[in-house]
Amino acid sequence: MNSFSETEVLSEIKAVEVMEQSNTPPGNTDTELSEEEKREIDSEFSRYEDRASVGLEALRIVQKHRGWVSDESLQAVSDYLEIPPAQLESVATYFQLIFRQPVGREVMLLCKSASCWIMGCSRLQVHIRNRLQIAPGQTSEDGIFTLLETPCLGDCDKAPVMLVGEQVHHNITEKSIDKWIEQKIIQHKTTDADQLPD
Amino acid sequence: MPTITIDGEDYEVDGEQNLLATCLSLGINLPYFCWHPAMGSVGACRQCAVIEYKDTEDQHGKLVMGCMTPVKDGGLYSVIADAAREFRGGIIEDLMTNHPHDCPVCEEGGECHLQDMTEMTGHVQRRYRGSKRTHRNQYLGPFINHEMNRCIACYRCTRFYRDYAGGSDLESLGRNNQIYFGRQKDGMLENGFSGNLVEVCPTGVFTDKTFSQHYVRKWDLQTAPSICEHCAVGCNTAPGAREPGNGGRAILRRVTNLYHRDINGYFLCDRGRFGYDYVNSDHRLENVLAARGDRLIESTARSGEKIHRILPPADAVGRFAQTLAAAQLGRRRLIGIASPRSSLENNFALRQLVGGANFFCGLARRDLELLHLVDRVQRDPRIHSPTTPEIESADAVLILGEDIDNTAPRIALAVRQAARNRQKQRARDLKIPLWQDASVRQLDGNPSPVLLIGTGTPALEEIASEILHCTADQTASFATAVVGFLRRDEPEQTELPESLRELARRAAERLSAAQRPLIVSGCGNRSVDIVNGAAAVACALAECEQGDREQCDLYLACPEVNSLGIAQLFPPGGGQLEQLAGQLRAGDGDTPTTLVILENDLYRRCDRRTVDTLLAGADEVILLDTLLNTTARHADLVFPAAATAESEGSYINSSGIAQRFYAVYEGAGFIQESWRWLANAAAACEEYPGNDVLAGCQHVHELSAALAGKFPALGVLAGLGPDEHYRIDGLKVARQSHRYSGRTAIRARDHVAELPPHRDPDAPMVFSMEGIQNAARTTLQANIWSPGWNSNQSIQKFLQGVGGRRKGAQGSRRIERAAQPLEDWHPQNTKAAATFSAATDLVLVPLHRMFGSDELSARAAAIASVIDEPYAVISAGDAEQRQIQHGDLLQIRIDSEHYAVEARISATLPRGTVGVPAGLPGLESLDCHLPGPAAVERIHGGESP
Repeated sequence: MNSFSETEVLSEIKAVEVMEQSNTPPGNTDTELSEEEKREIDSEFSRYEDRASVGLEALRIVQKHRGWVSDESLQAVSDYLEIPPAQLESVATYFQLIFRQPVGREVMLLCKSASCWIMGCSRLQVHIRNRLQIAPGQTSEDGIFTLLETPCLGDCDKAPVMLVGEQVHHNITEKSIDKWIEQKIIQHKTTDADQLPD
Repeated sequence: MPTITIDGEDYEVDGEQNLLATCLSLGINLPYFCWHPAMGSVGACRQCAVIEYKDTEDQHGKLVMGCMTPVKDGGLYSVIADAAREFRGGIIEDLMTNHPHDCPVCEEGGECHLQDMTEMTGHVQRRYRGSKRTHRNQYLGPFINHEMNRCIACYRCTRFYRDYAGGSDLESLGRNNQIYFGRQKDGMLENGFSGNLVEVCPTGVFTDKTFSQHYVRKWDLQTAPSICEHCAVGCNTAPGAREPGNGGRAILRRVTNLYHRDINGYFLCDRGRFGYDYVNSDHRLENVLAARGDRLIESTARSGEKIHRILPPADAVGRFAQTLAAAQLGRRRLIGIASPRSSLENNFALRQLVGGANFFCGLARRDLELLHLVDRVQRDPRIHSPTTPEIESADAVLILGEDIDNTAPRIALAVRQAARNRQKQRARDLKIPLWQDASVRQLDGNPSPVLLIGTGTPALEEIASEILHCTADQTASFATAVVGFLRRDEPEQTELPESLRELARRAAERLSAAQRPLIVSGCGNRSVDIVNGAAAVACALAECEQGDREQCDLYLACPEVNSLGIAQLFPPGGGQLEQLAGQLRAGDGDTPTTLVILENDLYRRCDRRTVDTLLAGADEVILLDTLLNTTARHADLVFPAAATAESEGSYINSSGIAQRFYAVYEGAGFIQESWRWLANAAAACEEYPGNDVLAGCQHVHELSAALAGKFPALGVLAGLGPDEHYRIDGLKVARQSHRYSGRTAIRARDHVAELPPHRDPDAPMVFSMEGIQNAARTTLQANIWSPGWNSNQSIQKFLQGVGGRRKGAQGSRRIERAAQPLEDWHPQNTKAAATFSAATDLVLVPLHRMFGSDELSARAAAIASVIDEPYAVISAGDAEQRQIQHGDLLQIRIDSEHYAVEARISATLPRGTVGVPAGLPGLESLDCHLPGPAAVERIHGGESP
């Protein structure tokens, strides 16, 4: 296992390259939207002035169903909303929570703003990196964890914080992270095993 | 006018402008990035910070952004205050944290706005020691390089490409420190104005890829004011040339925009910017060619084509002079064929040589008639041919049967701006200054009415309020109906269905309600009825009781750069090629005939049979041209003619504006201007009258003056631009910058002595750096440079205020044609020729393409690489009926000619018509049949190649 020091990690904080696209897109990359996706997108139209404004919601809906937004999915949304793909890409790459490359099932958004930094988020990042062998922007080999950085989550009094899904983890430590990681590994392995055909 | 104080000086200023534009108009250097004179302010870059003081007591003031600050009467400002300077330096330092220090290998270097602004702020020390963010670049097609690391995120590119030009495939992507300007994926930029990114980008993110092929620094380019020869709009250009490193003859290296307030402003289309490379193509003629007497067996040449060999120019001129002598003695008939893509002076020289009676225009009958009609329409006192700013200020536009995005692209860009006038009016009502670009663009409200009737204009459909795809006949009927509604008498009986009558009524209402309505049409459909219809609508609008206008704006797009010029040289009713062919067929006793063809490929003008007859009827064919074309292959003697960038002369654009262009460099080999070859022959011929202007002609100005004397309408030519005697402070204007490098070294291989500067006896300019280099003195300076301003942004130093005219004498003037009211027009229902067989035939209609329809630019390497293979567009209904699928191979049959084309299906093309790309390589000889009937059949799968 490779081990990383805090300074090494700091010097590499360059965030994810925006235009990077995965070479091995797993998951649903259908070039057509499913009926359900279309239905959900349709229900958004009433809330916006024009079709183009629904772009962000449509991307979110597609991501909900497919885990991430592939080039094919983006094109499908673009065709459905009748807006240029470049315009949709502009929206997709602006919002951090629209994933344009495959992510793991647990996306860890580690806050890197000032309070969390004072409280040692860089150290925690090194820890995660050593534990899961992933740098920010990467997904662990088992496909469970993706590590991303995020600006302030607004819980500075409970720093350092990490957002996973809709749950915010407060006052995280190496120990609490390890514990959470172990839990998640077991949880996903069990679900996978359950889903295997007998 | 408000009075403001900047750094203790009082100025009276235009209150409509923001503070930045005001400073620049006053000649005060204030750095900026995101502001653009044509696009206004968004306040993105924070570079133009100045101090604004509350009153004279205020010692500190506050920082404001010049581009976002309206000037107010009595305002106190400081540009040079330390706080402002420091702030501006800080902005540069921030921008530089990510900007690579790659100026030596960057093609923007030496004409980089970022370099200039960095110098201007005085910032020199960078404190940032971290790594810089890097990006992956995209392939953006054969015209534009992409180097994203250099980006300073000023947003000018998307503001131009998306907001101004309506492109949809270039966007800002990402966020924070990772902003990326590019496409969704690699691929050619689709918008026809993408080339302007090269000039709009303040640094080296977007650079000219065709220029990369033969790159030199801006200061090493030799420039002169020129006119784009690829359509009839007459955009001003600044071509740049320089000899290669081995000291050979100069080659043309790029074209950039040259500001002309009334025509192109700050922008060019991609055909104009990248079409220049035809002069460097393999098809270029550089030597005199003569047909060999012997015939090669099993040659691949078509019948009538000749095998040529190179002839020494002196011999060729001698041979030409003998022909001339025979003609003078009445032993030979000399016939001249003119060209709408050559200068007035070249055409006039030919006319002098052969005489008015033997001078033919080089166009087919219907093309010449159409040009004469355009000329007649423009003479009507009720009609005004608008300038580009006038087009931009129209508040209702009717486009009748002209795909201006492809026939007059710069005009389409202006119409796109006109569509925003209702929004701008709303901004005025809300007291939002028009330069507040982002605020104005956010305002609600429908765009100003733009009605597209007839031929599809895909690029403008998104801004159109009404679109009707219909045939040329229906377009004319529609115009008639509009006229009827405008005149408030019940429209004459037309074949229009009720829905179209309703549309015509709405069109009439919108146009008559507008302050400044604009009608746009042209020769694109080769339909006399459409031009007449457009003229009738404009006349009716001018006479309309509503509005107090006496004239109505009507823009008629002509096909070629000097189409309207040619129309001036021929009286209506004669001079067309069919007439000449008829004369030659009839024969003229035993007198042998020589055809002298000026810069014209006749096989693009008339059907093959007519041209073959014409050429066969002559005993000798002499051609002067730039590129080896089909006509050249049939000629006995071919003289290499100078291209626009290599010659001096005048063109008349679609609006009737005569403009002078100057030689940027001297053509390679034996290339010289066509009129010089003619003058050489005349001078070498003893029998030719010595008192004729051509015989002793030394300078092109002599021809211009003679032209002005002969044709009253062209009188303006006499005073158009200064002649070769022009001096400023005893000097001519320099074509080279004063940093032009290596003028001794470049020839050192042959000669180590410093040669005297290359003289130019013909122009008010010199081919060297010794001469006037002064932005404010003359419009002849095309090297857009001013101390401290190396980039093209220095253009503001050449203008009478931001967006104003050039300083110095104007090089363009409207020709003065005698006013003559049009007769009332009644459309005639002339149906297509009797040969039309409804069972198999469809009507071919021309589709104009930005890349491919123009003869010359199609030979430019980069443009040639994006021209489609021959295709034809068929309506969905006809396709279904004939069981034609997209991609099928079709055969078009006209007379004895066959063309194999790929089928494309269109939902908008009217039934019964087939769209054929006009002039597309491979279909050039089909062009003259458009519009017209032809048999169109599917070639069955097995037979397709």
